[in-house]
Amino acid sequence: MDVLKKSILLLLLSGYTLFAAGPFVWAAMMSLRTTTEIHYDHFGFPDPIHWEKYPEAWFNSNYAIYFTNSTQVVLAAVIIVTLIGAMAAHCLARYRFKLNRLVYFVLFSTIIFPPQITIISLFQILVQYGLYNSKLGLTLVYVAIQLPLTVYILESFFARIPSDLFDAARMDGYSDWQIFWKVSLPIAVPAVATTVILNFILLWNEFLFAVVLITDEVNRTLPLGIQRFIGDTQEDIGMIATGLMIAIIPVIVVYAFFSEKLIQGMTAGAVK
Amino acid sequence: MATVTLQDLTKVYDRSAPPAADRVSLDIGDEELMVLLGPSGCGKTTTLRMIAGLESITSGSLSIDEQVMNQVPAKDRDIAMVFQSYALYPHMTVKDNLAFGLRRRAVPRAEIERRVKEIAETLELSPLLGRRPHALSGGQRQRVALGRAIVRDPKVFLFDEPLSNLDAALRVSTRGEIAALHRRLGATMIYVTHDQVEAMTLGTRICIMSGGRVMQVGAPLEVYHAPVNTFVAGFLGNPPMNLIPARVAEGDGGRRLAVAGESLVLPPARMPALGPETALTFGIRPEHVTLRRDGAEAGASLAAEVLQTEALGAETIVLAALREDRAAKVMARVAGDAGFRVGESCRLQFDLAAAHVFGAEGDVLRPR
Amino acid sequence: MAAGGAARPHDEGLRRPWGAITAFLLPALLVYAALTAYPAFRTLWNSFHEVLPRRETFIGLANYAELIQDEIFWKAVRNTFIWACASPLIEVAVATLLALALYAKVPGARFFRIAWFTPVLMSYIVVGILWAWIYNYDWGPINVALRAVGLGDWAQPWLGQPDTALPALIFVTSWMWVGFNMVVMLAALHSLPREVIEAAELDNCGWGQKLVFIILPMVRATLLNLVVLSFIGKMKIFDLVWITTKGNPLWSTETVSTYVYKRAFEWTTFDLGYPSTIAAVWFVIVLAAVLGLTHLFRLRDKLEY
Repeated sequence: MDVLKKSILLLLLSGYTLFAAGPFVWAAMMSLRTTTEIHYDHFGFPDPIHWEKYPEAWFNSNYAIYFTNSTQVVLAAVIIVTLIGAMAAHCLARYRFKLNRLVYFVLFSTIIFPPQITIISLFQILVQYGLYNSKLGLTLVYVAIQLPLTVYILESFFARIPSDLFDAARMDGYSDWQIFWKVSLPIAVPAVATTVILNFILLWNEFLFAVVLITDEVNRTLPLGIQRFIGDTQEDIGMIATGLMIAIIPVIVVYAFFSEKLIQGMTAGAVK
Repeated sequence: MATVTLQDLTKVYDRSAPPAADRVSLDIGDEELMVLLGPSGCGKTTTLRMIAGLESITSGSLSIDEQVMNQVPAKDRDIAMVFQSYALYPHMTVKDNLAFGLRRRAVPRAEIERRVKEIAETLELSPLLGRRPHALSGGQRQRVALGRAIVRDPKVFLFDEPLSNLDAALRVSTRGEIAALHRRLGATMIYVTHDQVEAMTLGTRICIMSGGRVMQVGAPLEVYHAPVNTFVAGFLGNPPMNLIPARVAEGDGGRRLAVAGESLVLPPARMPALGPETALTFGIRPEHVTLRRDGAEAGASLAAEVLQTEALGAETIVLAALREDRAAKVMARVAGDAGFRVGESCRLQFDLAAAHVFGAEGDVLRPR
Repeated sequence: MAAGGAARPHDEGLRRPWGAITAFLLPALLVYAALTAYPAFRTLWNSFHEVLPRRETFIGLANYAELIQDEIFWKAVRNTFIWACASPLIEVAVATLLALALYAKVPGARFFRIAWFTPVLMSYIVVGILWAWIYNYDWGPINVALRAVGLGDWAQPWLGQPDTALPALIFVTSWMWVGFNMVVMLAALHSLPREVIEAAELDNCGWGQKLVFIILPMVRATLLNLVVLSFIGKMKIFDLVWITTKGNPLWSTETVSTYVYKRAFEWTTFDLGYPSTIAAVWFVIVLAAVLGLTHLFRLRDKLEY
């Protein structure tokens, strides 16, 4: 390719990059400016930089609560779903039994279910068992909605572990349970890491189930908190931008460290 | 050490298909190295896995030291296995791979340490103890796999085609190591392979299998020189035994064979007297065939034409077609400087004292 | 009987270890049964009842009869389908072009790939708020830019009028998902055997021909897979609408998800039976659409994700 063509191409790609990333840059700039400054010029650079808006949002607008709730619910759900998903995936990949493929298909086909099919009843059920409007209830529901994807990704990984390894471990005297912990799981660390990161992101952003199952301010997760926050401070764009940045910073941090893993996880199953 | 006895051991995976292992009976003595030899799909690996306890036994019985093991789980059989793929745990160092089987067996920590060190020493793995399997060469992985079996000091060693992933040179040297290991440990070993050279050089006895069944069991030279059927005759030897269709002709006490319009008279030691017109197969190994331009003995030679020659240096392999039955081809192993050319006519002279005769079903016919 | 590989069936020897199988599967199956299967069946049950906070009354197919007459529902179905059909086409087409650009070995491809993927990592809530600002009539960058180049007449409240609101939101989802699709396409392109493309070059194929006759047919499975994925994703869309327009104006952005939510938790009818009916019908429609689509693409065996 000659230099001219390449430059034009590069220019177009840079333009698209601006389009894809621009909104975040804009929000990041606004998060460091006061609403008055923003109203004066919506696209100005932060000058001076108002770092104090972050502690303000964190302490005065309940962001600390939202953030803690999100962290608790998401971490608990991710740990549980990874564990029980890995157990099920290991079982489906390793043991041959009559209902194996049926169980796999049943778990897996839930991926296409529209959430409405369960959400109303989940509301009723959680109310019935006193789990409505509780972090525990939301955690359990999160485990259930991420289970199919987790089993799917891990099963395909476990299935690629040569069965000789399991046979060798059996001859070495290990039980089924020990083989899972000492052979399967350690070997699957890359795939487990992928599902952990992926589930973290998806649940960190989850909104629909949270908005149905949580009402109290003290139990709100970040997406609910943001929604609440814009309701309260309709016109305070500067503060809202700060709030948005607080919500996306963990995602950006995870992405900065694990971009390849995350891309790999998000796109697992789509590549043919 | 241990004896292993298989009695009518059968494995059926699928009721509509023939059994993967069909009434396999075998007595493996203490300190013996028994080779299970056969083409792929012959049931040798299935048999090995049943002995290991990795595969359930459909019927028949398996005993180790006279104790029936059918229902004993793999971990309690005191058997170690070396896998074709080595099956090294990729997430563990060489040291942990070696120690993994011992940790489970309540061996004291210091004892584990000592044994791992000792094995690593003998297998020259000491400098590699801290490495992971992916950082090892094929030969090194193979030695770790061996070490992992040896360190447990089991009653019986099982080998499942352990050399097939190595390159040719390494295969020869590792073969030597396994033979030395067997001599040194004096352990009972069962070794599965499809490679007849491995079988001949390693085995104290060879068990040749086909279609899930045992064809013949015997010392390497015994199965080579006295194959019980055409399968064994055709499987062993490189090139394998020539097998030529023949009929019994009149005269010579029922030991005259009509082959391609000519006749061969077999010595009484090689063939029982049979009625005329009996259809059978005449077998002769390539090393017992010579090519003559003239002076061939009547009754021990056939006219032929050279089709192909492969000069290997010390010897030449000649493929010839019988003149009167060009579908019948014979391989001969002749001296390297014999100088026969493609298309040349000659006579194939047979050393009939080494001939074999097989019946219509393929089983060997021997004089009583 | 080839020994060794992963292909050998995992026969467990001795008895099948039902104990272990049960222990491994039980937690997942319990969660599935309690929080997916049971609620799904209960929704179906609800759909034949009037479900008030303290009372359930069997009303047969009354809800279904009402649903057929419910214009808002059909409007929502229409909107959702427009979304689910338009998005895959836009996303996959743009993503393919971008992926081809990066495939052509431009410098900085790794950076572009990572940057473009970013939007999909953000929640619809964050994205919704950002784009509500971007579409803002007075100071949103779009209108500001239009006025700056003298096209002030074109400036409009994008999310505030029925005929632009839905396209504007579809545009937002495309902005979000193009990067994702691009990464998948790029992976598919990179997995193509180099020799085939080189062979085409030797056959004197131009870029366009190479693309149409060699590359696209070879990544067909991935393309169709992405279309199905995008379709499924848009059939579920809720958050973005909820945070931006709540289905307004005039139900022009109402999706089935938002309508179910409104009927269940916003309207003061307190009846959970009718929204359950919507959910049940919608479930069947989605299932049929996805199966139909995959069948159409002859992907039936490969339906994944």
